[in-house]
Amino acid sequence: MTVRILVVDDHPVVRRGLTTLLGGRPEWMVIGEAQDGIEAVDKANSLKPDVIVLDVSMPRLDGLEACRRIRKSVPESEVLIVTQHDSPQMMREALTAGARGYVVKANASRDLQAAMEAVSQHKPFTSPNNG
Amino acid sequence: MKLRILIADDHEVVRRGLSTLLQTHEGWDICGEAKDGREAVEMAKQLKPDVVILDVGMPNLNGLAATRQLVQQNPSQKVIVLTITDSDEVIREALDAGARGFVLKSDAARDLVSAVEALQRGRMFFTPRVNDMVLAGFLDKGHTGSRNESPKVPQLTPREREVVQLLAEGKSSKEVATVLNLSTKTAETHRSNIMRKLGFHSIRDIVVYAIKNNIIQVQVPSHVDDRESSVVA
Repeated sequence: MTVRILVVDDHPVVRRGLTTLLGGRPEWMVIGEAQDGIEAVDKANSLKPDVIVLDVSMPRLDGLEACRRIRKSVPESEVLIVTQHDSPQMMREALTAGARGYVVKANASRDLQAAMEAVSQHKPFTSPNNG
Repeated sequence: MKLRILIADDHEVVRRGLSTLLQTHEGWDICGEAKDGREAVEMAKQLKPDVVILDVGMPNLNGLAATRQLVQQNPSQKVIVLTITDSDEVIREALDAGARGFVLKSDAARDLVSAVEALQRGRMFFTPRVNDMVLAGFLDKGHTGSRNESPKVPQLTPREREVVQLLAEGKSSKEVATVLNLSTKTAETHRSNIMRKLGFHSIRDIVVYAIKNNIIQVQVPSHVDDRESSVVA
C-alpha cells in the first residue's frame, strides 16, 4: 500500500536530500513539501498525508508546535521528527507533542528508512543513541 | 571533459540533496563526498576535483579552515563555501581563506548551480545578499577609514585554530594528537600556547572563544533558550 509523505524543512536542499533518501522504496510517495511549520499545518490539513517528516527549527512556526497542531487537526497523520538536535530532552518533547518517531539528521541515512517503516505502521521509532 | 565536483557536509541528507541538485546538470560529475573538512582536504589531494563545495560547520576541521588548507595545497583550487551563517565575520573569513563562491544553505537549491557555473567560467559567485553586505562593508570602510579594523587580538596559527576546534568539540589532548597525527606532547604544547596567547585558564574559555570566532557553531532551538544546546555541523 502506498504511504503518502509530506516533507517539511526550511532548507530546500535538505528537502531534496530527504526526498532522495525516501525515493528508494516504490511504496513511499512524497506528495508535498513545506518550508515552515505554518505551511506544514496547512498542507497536512489539505493533503492528509500518512506520514509527515518534520524538522524542528524552522521560521514562523517551529516543528514541535506544528506537530501539536497537526496531531489535533489530522490525528490519522503520523509525525516523524527529523532534526539536527541530538538531545534526549528534545526527543521527549517531540514525543510529548505527539510525534511517533524521532531521527537525528546526522543519522538520517542510517535511520530514516527504518523510522519510516515503523511510523507508517503507527509504531514508535527513535534513533538508537537517543533511545 | 566533465567538471569534477567534491562535496563536503557532515550530514548525508544534505550531501544527497546537493548531489541530486548538481547531478542533473549535464557535464558535471560528483567525484567524491566527504563528511568533514579533514576528509575533504585528503580527498582533494587524491581526486583533484575542479570545484570543492564545503559546508562551514563541520566537525574535526570546519569548512573555513579546510578552504585555507585546500587553497594552500593548490592555489588555483576553486572552493564554494556553503553556510547557514551570513555574518560579516564568516563572509570575511571565507574570502580571506580563498573561497571564490559563497552560498547560503537556505538559498542553495536556487543558487548553487549558478555558483558552480560561475566558477567554471573562472568567475566568482556571491549570493545577492552577500554581494550587498560586501559592498556595504567596502563603502562603509571607505568613508570611515580604520573604523572597521579588527581590534588587536592575539593571532592563532592555522594549526592552533584546528586544535581549538578539536578541544572545543570535547576531544582530549591525546585525541587531538591522534586526529592531527602529532605526538601527545606536541598537542599539549599547542594547547598551552593557545591558553597563554589568549589568557585562558579553562576549556570552557576555549569553547566560548570557538563559538565567538565561528570555529564551531552552536544551534539553540528557536522556541526555548534554557535547554541544552547542540554543537552543529
